[in-house]
Amino acid sequence: MKSVAKITAALLLGAVACSPALADPGTKVALVPGGPHPYFAAWEQAGKDAMKDFNLGAGDYRVPQKWELAQQSTLLESLLTQGYNSFLIFPGDAVGTNATVSEIVDNGGQAIATAGCLKDPTPALFCLGTDTGNSAYLGTKELIKAMGGKGRIAHFTGFLVDPNTQLRIDAVQKAADETNGDVTVVQVIADIDAPQPAEEKINAYLAAHAADVDGIVTTAWVPAVTAANSLRKIGDKRIKMVGIDHDEVVLQAIKDGFVNGTMLQNPYGQGYLGSYVLDKLRTGCTLKADAPWKSNALTAKFVDSGTVFVDAATADTYVDAMRGITKTLLANFEKDFMACK
Amino acid sequence: MALSFTRIFDNDWVGPGLVSLAAIIGISIFQPSFLSPFNIFVLLSAIAVNMVIALGQLVIIGIGQMNLALGAFGGLVAISFVAVMELYGVPPFVAVIIGFAIGTLAGGASGFVIARTGISAFIITLAGLQIFKGINLGITEAQPFYGVPQSVKDFGNLSMLGPIPWLVLPMLIASIGMWYLFTRLRIGRYILAIGGNRTAAELSGINVTATVIWAHAISGLLAATAGMMLVARLQIGQPTIGDDWLISSFAAPVIGGAVLAGGHVSVAGTFFGVVIIAIITQALVLFAIDPFVVQIVLGGLILWAVGINRLRELRVAKLNERA
Repeated sequence: MKSVAKITAALLLGAVACSPALADPGTKVALVPGGPHPYFAAWEQAGKDAMKDFNLGAGDYRVPQKWELAQQSTLLESLLTQGYNSFLIFPGDAVGTNATVSEIVDNGGQAIATAGCLKDPTPALFCLGTDTGNSAYLGTKELIKAMGGKGRIAHFTGFLVDPNTQLRIDAVQKAADETNGDVTVVQVIADIDAPQPAEEKINAYLAAHAADVDGIVTTAWVPAVTAANSLRKIGDKRIKMVGIDHDEVVLQAIKDGFVNGTMLQNPYGQGYLGSYVLDKLRTGCTLKADAPWKSNALTAKFVDSGTVFVDAATADTYVDAMRGITKTLLANFEKDFMACK
Repeated sequence: MALSFTRIFDNDWVGPGLVSLAAIIGISIFQPSFLSPFNIFVLLSAIAVNMVIALGQLVIIGIGQMNLALGAFGGLVAISFVAVMELYGVPPFVAVIIGFAIGTLAGGASGFVIARTGISAFIITLAGLQIFKGINLGITEAQPFYGVPQSVKDFGNLSMLGPIPWLVLPMLIASIGMWYLFTRLRIGRYILAIGGNRTAAELSGINVTATVIWAHAISGLLAATAGMMLVARLQIGQPTIGDDWLISSFAAPVIGGAVLAGGHVSVAGTFFGVVIIAIITQALVLFAIDPFVVQIVLGGLILWAVGINRLRELRVAKLNERA
């Protein structure tokens, strides 16, 4: 009698565990950025919402204290030993983080490279993030349009160790090249996604070369904020600018006419959708081999979390636009990318 | 003749001063806009903040130790400074006092643990770096504070006279204060005596424990000053303020002739060390150096600046021998 009860219980547990319809409170998701950065703040709410909406065991946002691969790896290992089994990771290094993800997978965990990709071959399930190259390309196209199709551009971007930086540099150059010489990228200033170096270098550049540039494209959060402040400070509306992300300073500068627009990303959607997918994959679903994966310079398994250009006309309603993108992604992901029993 | 030459060149600041002058002249020839009023304003603003950061490390180098938590102190004060104004409506003047208090207490606590336990300052300040950075992240959750009052923004972005920013004022006060401390005050001489030979200082009756605590409290006060200056300059309470202070806080004093083992420092030399780093950083932007080789060029130029100063020291030593 006892063994019948045991078998029945086991079958029931097995059925629950395999059912794609039921979320598993055993799915403990950790959302781990590469270091402290305002871009990732939306991950915290996304994790909490996903935990509540999908009945997860955890949806916790954990930040390494510094942008150092070693610190992130140590944090990930610590979370693994604490019982987290599903990870959304912004790779501290496009290649280096693969070793830590392997460790996670070897110990029964799973991970999605989020907001930045890992270089193939990778043990990560796939990469979910902004198509950074495309975002930088579209942003530069918007800038070129605002400049009247000709002129000189300065490009301010983020950490050189960020796997996205080179993609952004190439994309800005590509958009300029398409003008057949009417637009040139005269300078790229990188490694300034921190307030002090951004402030010093952008101001130094504008002090010496403001008259020599017609447009600024920024493809990292802090340079966008600093450049918006600098243009406001020197009161120059001749120089056109397209920024990135949704910092208050940038949005206000758009409304005041110092910045032409910004390329929004979807960090909330990444955290929310990523948590949902990880839970589905723990509870019986598998990724389709023939899913409509996109590819970029790092990986052949990429899912675009969406990007949208916001200008003065749409600066007050950008949240709705991003919600719409997230909703569409969530509605179609299971059908397009997963096979669930 | 040789003797007077030796006397002039005996000063630590002469080497870095000459390098600074040569760099200014050289860059101005190739980039005349380098000396434009706006660029001078930008350069002086960077120098002002970085000088106060360097002084915060200088006082610890003087005692023969190092403060790895300097940036964490500055970052914590920066966000606390904005937080009390934004969340509790505290007036800027009072917020500055609170900022000074947090920095001084954090530094003093660090010094107290170092002096009382005898554990290396490297270890204690490394732990302090983690603790204070952790508090910073706990408070901000990596989100900036935006509620910086206009008066604070103006202080960081307006000029006092011509192209001279207001930020130069706290730098001048801190620099003169530190020069006075090292040359005229007993505590300054105690700091250098302990840095030069701790045992001899102890045997001659200097209260080493109190002096170490004072040195670290002063370092915390200077870090707090720099953190609040940066808030004024950036117009935002960024949680990452202070993250990149460590290397430059050591580089400037060392270029300026400070001995890392302690006992010998130069406020004027440190100033020119800061100027050299600021000019090099700006020159790399002005001359559009490829972003992927910027770090190599920066490191090489700093090495060159230190080398020039070392050559000066050797030359002075030779002339002294001959005399």
